Amino acid sequence: MKRKIFSGIFLVSVLTFLACLVLILGVLYNYFDMQLIEGLHTEGTTIAAGIEAGGETYLQNLTMYDNRLTWIAADGEVLFDNQADPSSMENHLDREEIAEALQSGQGESSRYSETLSQKTVYYALKLSDNSVIRLSDTRSTVWNLLFGMFQPILLVLTIAIILSAILASRISKSIVRPINAIDLEAPDVEGNYDEISPLLLKIHHQNDQIRRQMEELRRQREEFQLITENMSEGFLVVDAKTELLSYNSAALRLLGSGPVEGTPSVLTLNRGESFRHAVETALAGEHCEQTMSLGSAVYHVIANPVTHQKKPAGAVIVILDCTERELRDQMRREFTSNVSHELKTPLTSIYGVSEMIANGIVKPGDIRSFAQNIHEESGRLITLIEDIMKLSQLDENSIPADPVAVDLYQLAASVIERLKRQAEERNIAVDLDGGTAIVQGIPNVLEEMIYNLCDNAIKYNRDGGRVRISVNKDKDGHPVVRVQDTGIGIPKEHQARVFERFYRADKSHSKKIGGTGLGLSIVKHAAAYHGATVRLESEEGKGTIVTVRF
Amino acid sequence: MMRSKFDEQLEYLNVELIKMGALCEEAISSAIKALLDDDQEMSRKAQDTDREIDQKERDIESLCLKLLLQQQPVARDLRVISSALKMISDMERIGDQASDIAEITAFISGNEVQSRIHIRDMALAAINMVTESIDSFVRKDMSLAQNVIQSDDTVDALFLKVKEELISLIKGDNGSAEAYMDLLMIAKYLERIGDHATNIAEWVLFSITGKHVEG
Repeated sequence: MKRKIFSGIFLVSVLTFLACLVLILGVLYNYFDMQLIEGLHTEGTTIAAGIEAGGETYLQNLTMYDNRLTWIAADGEVLFDNQADPSSMENHLDREEIAEALQSGQGESSRYSETLSQKTVYYALKLSDNSVIRLSDTRSTVWNLLFGMFQPILLVLTIAIILSAILASRISKSIVRPINAIDLEAPDVEGNYDEISPLLLKIHHQNDQIRRQMEELRRQREEFQLITENMSEGFLVVDAKTELLSYNSAALRLLGSGPVEGTPSVLTLNRGESFRHAVETALAGEHCEQTMSLGSAVYHVIANPVTHQKKPAGAVIVILDCTERELRDQMRREFTSNVSHELKTPLTSIYGVSEMIANGIVKPGDIRSFAQNIHEESGRLITLIEDIMKLSQLDENSIPADPVAVDLYQLAASVIERLKRQAEERNIAVDLDGGTAIVQGIPNVLEEMIYNLCDNAIKYNRDGGRVRISVNKDKDGHPVVRVQDTGIGIPKEHQARVFERFYRADKSHSKKIGGTGLGLSIVKHAAAYHGATVRLESEEGKGTIVTVRF
Repeated sequence: MMRSKFDEQLEYLNVELIKMGALCEEAISSAIKALLDDDQEMSRKAQDTDREIDQKERDIESLCLKLLLQQQPVARDLRVISSALKMISDMERIGDQASDIAEITAFISGNEVQSRIHIRDMALAAINMVTESIDSFVRKDMSLAQNVIQSDDTVDALFLKVKEELISLIKGDNGSAEAYMDLLMIAKYLERIGDHATNIAEWVLFSITGKHVEG
């Protein structure tokens, strides 16, 4: 725009200058022409008067006159010429100006001399004797004039060009400046050219509109991000080339990936078989659900195709962490198998023995010992079912008693009394130390808890071992029951799971030791019921320490 | 326009390489499962995956050649494509060896010897190397690639250990010498898989730095 304005102004000024030059030259040239002719007229009149008075002698004395002067007789013969020999000159009767003068008293004409680029102006005047004097003056043509003025004209032209260039540049700048200064973000509609204020107004409105739309978009994006970021499920959007378009941090966390740069392929996050299969199936246009395990975690991957104009354009992948569910499922399966095993073992012996008795293949003398067997096994079953019932009571918090003050020390002492015979059989020394420690609780639940701990400590002890039970208060005044044995201990990998129902460190479910596999589970639930924590320290082959802190 | 098409093709090559790497991981882990858990289903799967790997190799190879001819890449792009060409042959070898291991497992089926020697450790170390080498490619992670190159020594040491264990077993018991030889073969294959994983890591380093370190 600036350039256009500049060239416009510049062109106009140069053209104006040239036009002026032509005009002035034309006017001046004509003016000089007139002057010349007028001079010739005056001179002619004077000289005519001179000749009328003095004849040829006047002409002979007119040496000062520097224009050409010719005296021609009425018949055209040249009588006198101040610049040429009259005798050598031809008859002038046919000359335009002479003919004119002879006819009307005076005549004039002008002729161009091509070679000299000159113009000769003639003026003829008829005298009283019908002879004619002719004056002539030469002058340069306009081109000659121009050529002669070439240098000054060039100089002036150059100056004019420079001046107009500077001016044009300044003017164009000053015209453009307000336009350049427009702040497109917030155009000043009032303070600018009237011609562009509608445009600025429009820009202003559109800016507003764009701002609002951007704001709306940003809000929507933030909303979306907020929703996906707060999902615990992983969320991924990929395009048809498996490039990652959108994701939430949960997805990266679940897939164990670091921060993502650019739009890498989703397969850089995980390239496991099931994940890849899910992505590929979804991109082929089919819904796909897969379960994949990553380390110890188990994920459920749901991939849905995104179609655009009936062609798969990408996929939305949702990753659910179902590690806990899988773990629970596994525990339930184990629990069911354990409980049925525990229930079945005594029943099988009872069934077998009673069948033998019913079929009469048992000698009457042996019936007693067989009955003893049935008695023991059914006793085991009853203990087991009692344990399960206790647990479910604890589970449902439906213990039908109000908490009362219980002395754990006394409780421990009575438990030891009950287990005395069992310990003595295997020559295990049981000590109790510490002092009174009162807690608010359900006496039989607490007793059951301590009983189970001590029972385990004796059962899983070596012969001639030692069990130490201490009941006291820690430095914060919380009652603590600690049962330490010198038994077989629990291997590291089982320690976390021995509190599960029916879980046995020794998988063989050996009958030798007995027990239901519910003991520690009852301890855990009983402790939890009383708001106590249970801690297990154990070293294989050396012994176990269980600490219950209220 | 040309350039963006080329970039797209390079990205496609990258994704295909990741897929092929993932197939390698699958093949070797199936083969190891077949070995350790005596699972013939896994053995078949390893061999199927090997065929898939072979197909992938041919696909990627023709893609690379097409890129080389049509785009005439230079500098970094050229390195990426040429290292891809080298990498796929290493990956293909890994697939072959996994398939070989899977094949041998059929002969030593029902034998308990593998639990008595360190072949499990060796297998896990080899799988780990393959996984890490593919990871280093996926993430363009130079330190992980260096790590892979270093862990090759572990696998080599384990190979020697397994070999010695097998020698002493053969000395003590001639009955199942054939199984011992098969196990030695498996150990050797695992050792070779480690070498190929090292090669992949070296090519990853080459594609990033332009310098090929011979490990």
